[in-house]
Amino acid sequence: MKQLHFDYYMQITYAGCVSECHYTLKCIPADNIRQRLLGFSMEILPKNKWMEGVDSFGNAMVYGSIEKEQRDFSFHIQGDVEIDIREYETVKDDGEIFVYQYPYGLSTPGEELERFYQSLLGELNAKPDDYEKGVFLMHILYGNFIYEKEVTDVNTTAEEAWKLGKGVCQDYAHILIALCRRAGIPARYVSGMLIGEGYSHAWVEIYCDNHWFALDPTNNLIVEDSHIKIGVGRDAFDCQINRGIVMGGGSQTQNIRVCVEEKTEEIKT
Amino acid sequence: MYDLDLLEHTDTVNELLARYGVKFGIYKNNEFKEQLFPFDAIPRKIEKKEFDYLEKGLKQRVAALNLFLKDIYSKKEIVKDGIVPKDFIFASSGYMAECEGVTPIKGIYSHISGIDLVQGRDKQWYVLEDNLRVPSGASYPMIARELCRRSSPATFETNKLEDNRNYPKLLRQAMDYVNVGGHTVILTPGRYNAAYFEHSYLSEKTGAHLVTGAELKVEDDKLYYVSYDGKLERVGALYRRISDEYLDPMNFNPQSVIGIPHIFDVFRKGNVALINAPGNGIGDDKGIYYFVPKMIRYYLNEEPVLNNAPTYLPFYEEDMKYVLEHFDNLVLKDVAEAGGYGVVFGNSMTKEEKEKFITLLKKEPRRFIAQEVIDFMDIDILEGNETLPRKADLRAFVLMAEEPVVWKSGLTRFSRNPDSFIVNSSQGGGFKDTWVLSQ
Repeated sequence: MKQLHFDYYMQITYAGCVSECHYTLKCIPADNIRQRLLGFSMEILPKNKWMEGVDSFGNAMVYGSIEKEQRDFSFHIQGDVEIDIREYETVKDDGEIFVYQYPYGLSTPGEELERFYQSLLGELNAKPDDYEKGVFLMHILYGNFIYEKEVTDVNTTAEEAWKLGKGVCQDYAHILIALCRRAGIPARYVSGMLIGEGYSHAWVEIYCDNHWFALDPTNNLIVEDSHIKIGVGRDAFDCQINRGIVMGGGSQTQNIRVCVEEKTEEIKT
Repeated sequence: MYDLDLLEHTDTVNELLARYGVKFGIYKNNEFKEQLFPFDAIPRKIEKKEFDYLEKGLKQRVAALNLFLKDIYSKKEIVKDGIVPKDFIFASSGYMAECEGVTPIKGIYSHISGIDLVQGRDKQWYVLEDNLRVPSGASYPMIARELCRRSSPATFETNKLEDNRNYPKLLRQAMDYVNVGGHTVILTPGRYNAAYFEHSYLSEKTGAHLVTGAELKVEDDKLYYVSYDGKLERVGALYRRISDEYLDPMNFNPQSVIGIPHIFDVFRKGNVALINAPGNGIGDDKGIYYFVPKMIRYYLNEEPVLNNAPTYLPFYEEDMKYVLEHFDNLVLKDVAEAGGYGVVFGNSMTKEEKEKFITLLKKEPRRFIAQEVIDFMDIDILEGNETLPRKADLRAFVLMAEEPVVWKSGLTRFSRNPDSFIVNSSQGGGFKDTWVLSQ
């Protein structure tokens, strides 16, 4: 078991004045059998009365509307989780995985990705089970896709990113999801944080043998206890950490600062 | 042939309809045009006994569809029991994962259902489509009847027919039944919507405020109407005349400027009734239509009273074979389209079009359904002093409160083109009043 401390700060600054803003934050780390959320504190600025809920994918949400004039919006969440890698999330009911089996939104493949998938069939079919297939697809993707920032954006689909041949963690995740679903393996998008990375991260979970297994295609590794999971969804849009609409404001700059550290001392004392 | 005083007043009624702004807006080539919805004075008559039969079948159908929607967004038993294949639900654009685990007030999904039927030459009725999202059209026979009564009172003294002026009352009951406390309002996207006339007319007749998204706001997980003096007044039921996609930019399409941010979150917590409930699109998906008779047997343990038009799903190998062999006798419908779009008749395609279509069909079999072309019974329309036969359908309205109730009237739409089977108003058709005879 490992305890991790996280600190996530995001600030959006607007060039002009915003008269009204609505936001939904899916920024609270998941609390489940594998990852216990030990505690957290949160602040949203400008100060406002927020509401809380849980969406249909099981993600905790904090949402609200701010009607006073503002020049920037920020939230800051920090807390601790404990990860037990011997445990895996499962489902109470098979019906829960149906939504993760079909092409959807940004994880929808197209002709190029289909062609790539077809070229893998020989090797893929030689794998003994879905887990091995998923891991194989991750390795193959890692070897055929280049990590590069600012060539894709939040609305880039799996097919678009694949054609481009490069992108960021969100793109890796969408492509792997598309390939896994195509191979008949339920797969979902995960938003989260990673030790040593100053930004938010994203990876994939595949469902096999009644368990959700997490794969990080950007780093070509099986997720253990260096990742803090926040939300899940069919694609990135379902579990966007921060979604907002504003009236006015003009251009905006977003500043995100994330820090995840292992808490060693405390466990010993 | 028609000894009906009303027919002498056709022009008067049409003039009045124009004056009252009974129009239908359509978008064509990115341009908004409003056109009159031509009214034909020869009523479509339905005998009491026949309507009793329709009523029984429609109630049954709507009851089953409501149970289906509830099941799909919770336990999914109909899928697990192998009655409806998974692919037809979870890959359909009508299915909304955001509605998973969210149960609308009193478990009602479709408060207002518009079921489209046609009558074949053999007098047999067939259901062609179930409209469960935001079915429109009730206002047209309502106002037409009102104006006909005014123009020709004599007609309604001599003919014994069911009064259709109770629609607002039925609608009110359906809305009040699920209201969680507060006002009942009707949400319109505004006057450039195709059915704006209807929105305003229903508001006037039910007494429910007509509002736009900008007049509503969410606070403390409740929905409020912002009154003229800035006070917040709680809304307990919202009859929304905008589609799911545009309802809430924070939960669905973020580009929507006609919705209300966070309204879906309020709905999720059971603090407002949305009429009809979000997620209904899966119930009126053309692919799901095929399964409605199976649903009736599955949920109600009854035999369906009303028939579907004979339908084939190319998704099933056997049906694909049939479709390819009988292509020229069938009408093919794209399940994702509505309003008479995406409908093609096998016999109207050129050889090239046919080849192209078949390639697409083989590639995406789930996307299409094929139906036998039903030879509709013609009904007469008046053109000058002549009567001419035209194809027509019937949209029947079923309102759900504690029990489903069928409105004893309906919208009869006809095709103005003698060769066309497509009667949708967005394709330029006209309408008639529907008389349900009371004896």
